[in-house]
Amino acid sequence: MSTLHVLSHSPFGDDRLSSCLRVIGANDALLLSGDAAYALQPGTAPFSALNDRSLALYVLAEDAQARAIEIPDWAKAIEYPAFVELSIHHDKVNSWL
Amino acid sequence: MAKSLLIISRQSPWSGPGAREALDIVLAGGAFDLPIGLLFLDDGVFQLAAQQNAKALQQKDLSANLQALPMFGVEELFVCSDSVAERGLAPEALSLEEAQALAADEITALIDRYDQVITL
Amino acid sequence: MNALTIGARAIELDKDGFLVELSDWSADVATALAAAEDIELSPEHWEILELLRSFYAEFQLSPATRPLIKYTALKLGPEKGNSLHLNRLFKGTPAKLAAKLAGLPKPTNCL
Repeated sequence: MSTLHVLSHSPFGDDRLSSCLRVIGANDALLLSGDAAYALQPGTAPFSALNDRSLALYVLAEDAQARAIEIPDWAKAIEYPAFVELSIHHDKVNSWL
Repeated sequence: MAKSLLIISRQSPWSGPGAREALDIVLAGGAFDLPIGLLFLDDGVFQLAAQQNAKALQQKDLSANLQALPMFGVEELFVCSDSVAERGLAPEALSLEEAQALAADEITALIDRYDQVITL
Repeated sequence: MNALTIGARAIELDKDGFLVELSDWSADVATALAAAEDIELSPEHWEILELLRSFYAEFQLSPATRPLIKYTALKLGPEKGNSLHLNRLFKGTPAKLAAKLAGLPKPTNCL
């Protein structure tokens, strides 16, 4: 079984990202959407936390672009069709509302 | 066979409707005999603090409601032991004694085991 | 306003016939509410009503049918904690009707 975890809140002042990283499994993937894209702001704790882990990490391209977030080579920028594919590819989706 | 559902409740009881909504989903699922589990994570573990007083805020008593879970057929109750420790709560003093404390890797396995997950 | 008249008192009810003020409940109120449903309360009814009131005192909510059956079986034994017995006493809708007569709020998980 694999889970696609979806985060949409900023990792600053919120523990969704750290809790997600604590429980994410080896077959799982993580998608950053909305303000969660700020986790890829270089030089920050969330950035290092993500960089330290070899995760299947995705970010919605338009959300990163809008926020002037440059996407590091260890994350993959995707559009909505790829988001849909990713959701289907995994057994379930866990949206951290 | 109905799909199994894990609810992850991660809001404090006093921060807004999140904790109540998570419980309502679980109670409704239990009343219909769905295979349903409930995990308290992050600030959600504060729902299990003893000696809370809902009257002080003129609110409904969520902790009393939580005690009804086994009566509603919801026996799969879990609490994240890291969240409990970080928040200075004593694991043995939590108000829902049926809740089983899980370490991070056990939570990974728990999420894996259910067909659907809702995090509130 | 929907109301129940007991002696000189008018007791306010909601559109489904549940008490608006739970503190208005008394044995006389229960008897009158039951009469409005064509039920004459027997000792078997009363013990369920009392059970529901203690369920509410303990959990602060009204039970749906399954938890009501489970709680009744736990407190009064399986010969009373079964749907047959409860349906017979409360016209087939024990969770809703017994909650009404016991002066509890309408069960929210009784979908």
